[in-house]
Amino acid sequence: MLEKTVNEMLAKTFPDEKVTATVDERRIVHLAGECSTYQTLIDVGHAVAHVEGVRNVVSDMTARGVVMKKKDYTPFVEAGEKKGVVEECDVLIVGAGIIGCGIAREIAKYNLKVLVAEMGDDVSTGCSKANNGCIHHGMAVKPGTLKSEMNRIGNKRYDDWERELHVGMIRPGYLEVVTKMEDLPKVYARFELGLKNKVPGMKILTPEQINEIEPAYEQNGIHPVAALYLPNFGLVETPYVCVALAENAATNGVRFLFNTTVGKVLTEDHKIVGVVTNKGIIKCRYLVNAAGMYADDIAEMAGDRLFTIHNRRGTIAIFDKATPPTFHIPTAILSGLVKKGKNVESKGGGMHPTPENNLLIGPSAEEVPDKEDTETYEWGVDYCMECCFQDPLLHKGDIIKIFAGARPADFMEDFTIEMSDVTDGLVHACCTQSPGVASSPGVADRTVGIIVDDLLKKGEDVHVKPDYNPYREKPVEFRHMTREEQDALIAKDPRYGRIVCRCEQVTEGEILDVLHSPVVPHSITAIKNRTRAGMGRCQGGFCQPRVLEIIARELGEDWIKVNLNGEGSNILVSANREEGDEQ
Amino acid sequence: MKNISVDIAVIGGGPAGLAAALEAKEQGAGRVLLLERDGDLGGILQQCIHDGFGLHRFGARLSGTEYAQRYADMVRATDIEIKLDTMVIELTKDRVIYAMNPTDGMMRIECGAVVLAMGCRERTASQVFLYGFRPAGVLTAGSVQRYINMEGYLPGKTAVILGSGDIGLIMARRMTLEGITVKGVYEAAPHLGGLMRNKVQCLDDYNIPLHVGMSVVRVHGKKRVEGVTVAKVGPDFRAIPGTEEFIPCDLLVLAVGLIPENELSRGAQVEMDNKTRGPVLDNNFMTSVPGIFAAGNVAVVFDLVDYVSASGAAAARGAVRFLKGELGGACEYRPVTAGENVNFVVPQRVRTDAEGPTSFYLRVRQPLKKVRLVCEEEGKEIASVRATHAAPPEMMSFEAKLSGGALTVSVTEV
Ligand SMILES: Cc1cc2nc3c(=O)[nH]c(=O)nc-3n(C[C@H](O)[C@H](O)[C@H](O)COP(=O)(O)OP(=O)(O)OC[C@H]3O[C@@H](n4cnc5c(N)ncnc54)[C@H](O)[C@@H]3O)c2cc1C
Ligand SMILES: Cc1cc2nc3c(=O)[nH]c(=O)nc-3n(C[C@H](O)[C@H](O)[C@H](O)COP(=O)(O)OP(=O)(O)OC[C@H]3O[C@@H](n4cnc5c(N)ncnc54)[C@H](O)[C@@H]3O)c2cc1C
Repeated sequence: MLEKTVNEMLAKTFPDEKVTATVDERRIVHLAGECSTYQTLIDVGHAVAHVEGVRNVVSDMTARGVVMKKKDYTPFVEAGEKKGVVEECDVLIVGAGIIGCGIAREIAKYNLKVLVAEMGDDVSTGCSKANNGCIHHGMAVKPGTLKSEMNRIGNKRYDDWERELHVGMIRPGYLEVVTKMEDLPKVYARFELGLKNKVPGMKILTPEQINEIEPAYEQNGIHPVAALYLPNFGLVETPYVCVALAENAATNGVRFLFNTTVGKVLTEDHKIVGVVTNKGIIKCRYLVNAAGMYADDIAEMAGDRLFTIHNRRGTIAIFDKATPPTFHIPTAILSGLVKKGKNVESKGGGMHPTPENNLLIGPSAEEVPDKEDTETYEWGVDYCMECCFQDPLLHKGDIIKIFAGARPADFMEDFTIEMSDVTDGLVHACCTQSPGVASSPGVADRTVGIIVDDLLKKGEDVHVKPDYNPYREKPVEFRHMTREEQDALIAKDPRYGRIVCRCEQVTEGEILDVLHSPVVPHSITAIKNRTRAGMGRCQGGFCQPRVLEIIARELGEDWIKVNLNGEGSNILVSANREEGDEQ
Repeated sequence: MKNISVDIAVIGGGPAGLAAALEAKEQGAGRVLLLERDGDLGGILQQCIHDGFGLHRFGARLSGTEYAQRYADMVRATDIEIKLDTMVIELTKDRVIYAMNPTDGMMRIECGAVVLAMGCRERTASQVFLYGFRPAGVLTAGSVQRYINMEGYLPGKTAVILGSGDIGLIMARRMTLEGITVKGVYEAAPHLGGLMRNKVQCLDDYNIPLHVGMSVVRVHGKKRVEGVTVAKVGPDFRAIPGTEEFIPCDLLVLAVGLIPENELSRGAQVEMDNKTRGPVLDNNFMTSVPGIFAAGNVAVVFDLVDYVSASGAAAARGAVRFLKGELGGACEYRPVTAGENVNFVVPQRVRTDAEGPTSFYLRVRQPLKKVRLVCEEEGKEIASVRATHAAPPEMMSFEAKLSGGALTVSVTEV
């Protein structure tokens, strides 16, 4: 019945495409065939997902002339099977992005042995490393979706994470401004939408009230007539949140296995028993699928092909601190703002400050066939520039960094957080495109809840460990201290008296601190994500050799082995001739 | 927190700062303090082991390190206080410096006058809009120079250099001598960015091709650089479709320009010049904030270290005059206008009470042959220089005796 409906819809909407749909007993639609373009493939997937009754969409579709590589896990599996069983645990989390780290932190409180397998060399090397870091207010998501609920819970729970872990969140709030009387209904409409999404604390402000909290509009010749104020909007640096979560998880006994790729899932009787990684076999009872872009591969490995993930790339640009954000409160001007070709499924495409007050613009939303494609293009940056309402102070020349991230989206465009109904012990926490960062505390709570409930149902003794420590001490941040505090700190430990990164004023002491932290960073980027060394206007031009030297010294590594970000990204290739001659 | 008070503080111990400290002492300043964040004096010269420095100042072809050493020795022979490993993190418009190091902690330094000599930093990949992935193996020329010359490591085997300024040219030779294959130097502008003599000595002698009007438009490789796409570019520096070419390499060296390091200056509310990206200076090398002076690459990117030293000395003379009260009180300025063919002139303005000889530095807009540089004060010629040629990469300098009027500087072919 459903199969017929879907195929009829396809024939009607996409008469020229050679695509067929089959539907299984779980109401999962399986699409096969060749589409004329990659964008059509995406459109077909979305159209099918919209058909009533469809649970999710799995795609084997191809697009004419487009290479769609599938990741080959064979070498990992071969290496791991040779090594045999190397670890055993109760819960294995695949992926140390914001989702995996959040789950690790929340499950660490229980009397369970937990491991995290991550193919990168640090936390936050996937989607979580390149995003806007908005703790969305929850307005932009479709009411009634899981995304909407997770966003709402997650947003609120960030207060706890900030208090307990110092994840570096600020809550500047958000203003949706109209400058013309005739646009007033837009504000009311947004207010209504906010009510549906249960956004807390919303207020409609008068021009006077707006001017009080954000004088920069009037100062820049923008005259708001009203605004919707969303006080719960927050900002983070996502990689830093991941570090804070992982450190606290590690303090409570969770171990992170980096450079570890899960290539095969072992099941017995439709029950998870372990995984094969390049580092060996890891036995486990629960497998948490927080693999972001590769969550569909993990699901398939575990015998639960439930969805297909596609890469919706987003380009972002960051400005020099010398060009600070015009508005302190992130802003959308609802009047007369046309966003060209805006992708409807992902939010964003504006300008806002980062928690350290750099101006950030973007992201774009581009469907691309390669899951690891985070290349930047000129038009991506041009799109970001266009989305930002014409700010005369904004010059492309003040951009200090252009980068792109990859959103792991499925065709339903909603999160999947559930215990598999075909493989016992497999828990999905994936399909996490925006607002995955904002939602992560909610996703973590829900995922942990699923596992704990299941254990309780099976009559196991699961309880909070008596020595569980929910706190992570606030690390030293030299740049945010007063001169007196800085002086006292240097007197106590002179290593804080040497600045390594001059743009962001990061001291040697801070770099040493993180090199001796619970989740040891090994690469230049891992140090950057923890300390900000290299994040400033010279982009590591000055401090990179110094950071490299400190890493090599402290970890006893050869200079040539120190990576920019992960295996195979070494910065130096050999000692030069004179040195070689000496040896 | 330590409180210190000095007559003159010099921020930065490169050639500009060294010359400034030395001249301040020679002019009779009392307590002179030189603050340098690095462990050694010399600034960027410490990593310049090639020769070609000091032809004007010492009449000899010195390496950068030797040039710096000569100055450092002269400074050390005086009672100038030197604080190394000391980073200045703030300067206020009332000439209070906050500086820190491991032994003194945070210091609050009250200064009679300040000379800014912080040099410049290199432009980065994002600033020249390099698109693609962001792998290891994309480095600025300065970083490459540091890794090779100071640390003893090679960051690649096969390199492409973007930018044909002197730094790019010198790095082409340096890398070749170290056994790195340099595939070519690419220059987006239609002409060479550096000195002709450097092209001959650094590229031609080693058969390294120079491609003008071409740029690197994409970087390939996810982990390490696997190659770059180069293309011809139009006058707007955008790639001309159809001219793209893939060049395999594992290192992309960016020598795409320098930006004066003026964060401290901005903090002190010093007025900046959009052209030079340095402070607006007067004939005493004083910025818009009384008592704060600037010299060397922080004021404008120089190509000859001899000029850098000279500007340091000039700024120090101004600072000493300021201490003596000769520059106090209200004063008026007259502009120094960049006339025909001239891109900019530093200093950018003169005081109406200016008198005596002052040095000026300028760059022309485009290459010219057989030129005459003329400086007019209120329409009257007060200085002129002849040269066989002029080109944007080669900074020109002249001296003029001032009497306080507005100046116009022009360079014309004769
Ligand atoms: C440009 C852009 C802007 C965004 N802005 C926002 C925003 O402002 N606010 C917001 O809330 N959200 C935003 N998002 C979305 C947000 O970044 C994601 O939802 C979130 O980072 C997803 O986290 P994750 O942990 O699920 O995925 P990831 O961070 O990708 O983590 C998955 C991890 O799994 C690992 N992995 C995968 N396969 C395997 C395997 N087989 N074995 C071992 N490890 C494996 C990967 O290496 C990766 O580290 C944005 C996204 C983009 C691209
Ligand atoms: C690769 C290269 C090749 C060159 N080749 C030649 C050549 O062949 N011939 C020639 O004549 N010229 C050459 N030059 C030019 C010449 O070296 C520079 O113009 C000159 O070094 C600039 O001197 P400076 O003192 O202004 O700046 P720098 O030498 O950069 O010195 C600035 C100093 O200030 C310090 N500093 C900055 N900020 C702070 C702070 N906040 N607190 C404390 N200290 C601070 C820095 O550590 C540095 O030591 C070359 C330059 C480069 C980069």
